Amino acid sequence: MPSLESEIEGIIETFTNNLKQRKFKGSRDLALNSVQLWKKIIGQMKWQNARELMDKIKEIGKDFQETSPSETVIGNMTRRMLKIVRDEYAMLQKGKQEDSDLQESLQKILTADEVDVDYSKNIPLLKPAIMEHIGEFLTELESSEIDISAQALEHIHANEIIMTIGYSKTVFAFLKTAAKDRAFQVIVAECAPFYHGHKLAADLAEAQISTTLIPDSAIFAMMARVNKVIIGTHSVMANGGLKAVCGTHTLALAAKHYSVPFVVCAPMFKLCPEYVCSLDQDGFNQFASPEEVLSNDEGMLVSRVNVYNPIFDYVPPELVTLFISNTGGNAPSYIYRLLSELYHSLDVQL
Amino acid sequence: MENTRNVLDFFQNIVEKEPEVSAAVAAIRTLMHILETFGDRTLRGLSEELRKATEEMKKADCSITSVQSGCELFQRFITLTGALDQSNIKECKDIMKKRGEIFLRKLQEARPKIAKLGAPFILDGQKILTHSKSRVVLQTLREAALTSKKRFHVFITESYPDQSGVLMRNELLKLNISSTLILDSAMGYVMESVDLVLVGAEGVVESGGIINKVGTYTMALCAKEMHKPFYVLAESFKFVRLYPLNQRDLPQELKFSSSTIKSNSNLLDQHPQVDYTPPGYITLLFTDLGILTPSAVSDELIKLYL
Repeated sequence: MPSLESEIEGIIETFTNNLKQRKFKGSRDLALNSVQLWKKIIGQMKWQNARELMDKIKEIGKDFQETSPSETVIGNMTRRMLKIVRDEYAMLQKGKQEDSDLQESLQKILTADEVDVDYSKNIPLLKPAIMEHIGEFLTELESSEIDISAQALEHIHANEIIMTIGYSKTVFAFLKTAAKDRAFQVIVAECAPFYHGHKLAADLAEAQISTTLIPDSAIFAMMARVNKVIIGTHSVMANGGLKAVCGTHTLALAAKHYSVPFVVCAPMFKLCPEYVCSLDQDGFNQFASPEEVLSNDEGMLVSRVNVYNPIFDYVPPELVTLFISNTGGNAPSYIYRLLSELYHSLDVQL
Repeated sequence: MENTRNVLDFFQNIVEKEPEVSAAVAAIRTLMHILETFGDRTLRGLSEELRKATEEMKKADCSITSVQSGCELFQRFITLTGALDQSNIKECKDIMKKRGEIFLRKLQEARPKIAKLGAPFILDGQKILTHSKSRVVLQTLREAALTSKKRFHVFITESYPDQSGVLMRNELLKLNISSTLILDSAMGYVMESVDLVLVGAEGVVESGGIINKVGTYTMALCAKEMHKPFYVLAESFKFVRLYPLNQRDLPQELKFSSSTIKSNSNLLDQHPQVDYTPPGYITLLFTDLGILTPSAVSDELIKLYL
């Protein structure tokens, strides 16, 4: 039916345009919207078997990724959809809930027969199973912030001094939940040149939490008094490292120096199966306008100086103490396990 | 058994005639050969034969760690396959032969897979440090230089006493990759100018650490101190069921060649051929099972052996 095809193309195009114009406010918004989009696409698109569906998902997912390569959440959601399809297919094929280890392993190399898992069988129950699974996944996504905040009381104790940087919705909800039962202080680093820290400080003060706002240069000086550092992040890389707002690496190094626990609040959809190949910033980072750093008013200076305004920072896994996700707390060395549960190794390269 | 002499000969034949083949794969092929020529007896008897053959092969003067891991893997393969309910030994043997061929094929494909995973980590204009001769590292460098057309420079330690670094340099010259041969003692001197360290491994232990040519531990210590990433390239058949806590914990037969052990009573005076690098110094392991952090290695071994 031509109208169905064009309807799907229509919603894909709207989504792509919103992506280009950066209409999505934050990773969670983006994740929810992309999963809802996938739900519509998979529900309305015509496909005969799992292999066809997965190829189409990969194709569309690649286009999304090319539109906005620095938004890792889109790639993560695409891979999640693929894993859901693989899981449902394997479960229906085998007819029972096996501890289906679809990943490569030494054991599989030893025992496997010639036949590779071929996804081309047409199983009529596959579509409703997939749609149900996606529905469950959406519920999990929507409640991710609440699930993380529910763990707040375990980590924040009375009269503690917490340090954070920039503005993270997850951290704000986390601190607000803890403040209901505990009295503590928060020090916010303002995070130049966008100064998102100012907004967090204002919001925390409104929530009756005792807050101090400091410039980024004072991070090391204040660190000696801090009990914990709690931050949000843009994404978590496959080795447990972080791709976070610029200034986080400084914060992490200062925390390491004073042996202050460095806690990262990140929901599972931020977990990315890619590795940072190199710290060559051209491939890894995104640069915003240098206007924020050195405005064009100072013409004499601007013409003689190279000004950079990177958005992200890479924090190596050795500096992180704990990851708090909607499923609980994990050490950075455990990330590989979480990855194998969320994504399939063949889907890492879309 | 009259086969014992033949086992060692067969094994050394493969090692000499096919230098590209890893010692572990050569060991597995030898054991496959024994499986094929095995008379119709019991599975228990077969296990005994294989165990005796393993002991024989350890007398060869090559990397014993790889031989050990390869043989253990093959033994596991036999027990996993043999656990099938077959009515007689002949059918069992046939299934094992078929599976064995698939198994060997998957092992041969290990190195290209690793090269594909490792090549993106090498960027244009980088300086790489490596230790001694490793076929996996060579293949990865070849992949980066020829397929991805990247330009980089390699520092190789000459790696006394067998000077295998010189052989590595010759191979790199053939591939037109610019390289410099350095003294083993110059590792620290050179470390500040390199961007990353790439080494192979003779064995990967349960903790996620590696056993490799002596000098690797020193290189890892230097790299950690100078904040350089330390990458290990190893095929999955090198995973061995050992858990050394320090250098002395390594078994004697891995540290010294069999001829040294036989001819010397006091091994304290002998130079070890390998050392153990703890997992804390390793950034990432590239295997045919994917890119693993050292903590993921024990998971893999548990999945296989338990």
